[in-house]
Amino acid sequence: MEIRVRQKEGMAILEVEGELDFSNVEQLQQEIQRRTEEVVEIDLQGLRFIDSSGVGMLLSQVRHLYKQGRTLRIVRIPDFIREDLDVIGFFQVLEALKTNPNA
Amino acid sequence: MGEVITGNGKILRAYGLEVSGCSLPAEQVGGDFFEFISCDERTVFAVIGDVMGKGFHAARLMETIRHMLRECIRINPHPLEVVRRLNRVGWDELRKCGAFATLCLLCYDGIAGRLSCVNAGHHPPLLLSDGKVKVARCRGVALGLLEDYLGSGVEEFFLADGDAVVLYTDGLVEACGPGEQRYGQERLKEIVRLQNGADADRMKQNILSDLETFTRGFSQKDDVTLVVMKVTGKAGERGGN
Repeated sequence: MEIRVRQKEGMAILEVEGELDFSNVEQLQQEIQRRTEEVVEIDLQGLRFIDSSGVGMLLSQVRHLYKQGRTLRIVRIPDFIREDLDVIGFFQVLEALKTNPNA
Repeated sequence: MGEVITGNGKILRAYGLEVSGCSLPAEQVGGDFFEFISCDERTVFAVIGDVMGKGFHAARLMETIRHMLRECIRINPHPLEVVRRLNRVGWDELRKCGAFATLCLLCYDGIAGRLSCVNAGHHPPLLLSDGKVKVARCRGVALGLLEDYLGSGVEEFFLADGDAVVLYTDGLVEACGPGEQRYGQERLKEIVRLQNGADADRMKQNILSDLETFTRGFSQKDDVTLVVMKVTGKAGERGGN
């Protein structure tokens, strides 16, 4: 997995490429936690594979940033990964967190 | 509650069903599981699930979830209530590990031929009837992601002799061949459709053979678990295994 970091008007954009799984999930988690910007955007356009450890980490970081009054935004999800996330209920959880960050 | 039938490669003949299932681990021990749990003389639960992560940690968490599942069925066997309760009692355990589990729970009444399905973030089952394949529509959020289970409710089907139900984990449809193309649900539906008339074990073997042909020995990242249930009569017409 490769992570490229870009900054734009108080926002950090992390472009993730390759495979995100249990073997490297901490690398992305540490990069998210290192950011101090109000909005952190995870760009998944270059992602080829994500396992359940990656999904769990992303959701826990969304929750973590919401609790701090910040936002973790996940964008440009490839269609085949979007389908997998949809099965798990990922987007329903994001909606629930928007209305109640403690959910 | 009567017998609990679990394990790898078992064939169950009871409740007017013939069931064959197996779990093929990837490189590391994963968190896939499947189980058949007797409820009463006419009702059996078939459950397939996948606990987040890999290795010993996921395997231990899976055992905890299985234990809780049997307890939840014992307390109140209504399928939706089982999943709601399981989410509630599993919440602490899963949150403590920052984990989640997907699960598809089927409850089959062998006298009425009624199949009730509740889903928590798992791939929905496929139903084969008269050579046609239908995908169950029931959906729901995986266990441990929200404090209250959120899903589309119970979906019911009435099965006749010869109808079959296929349960599987994401390792099957996400399996890749050398070209990194995925096996996918469409290919699975097609091979299931071609199994009309085959018995449950033969169906399972043929699906796995097709998967092997597709992957051409390419090593896989995730476990593959597959369960085929076929209706062979009414409950009570055949004995247990």
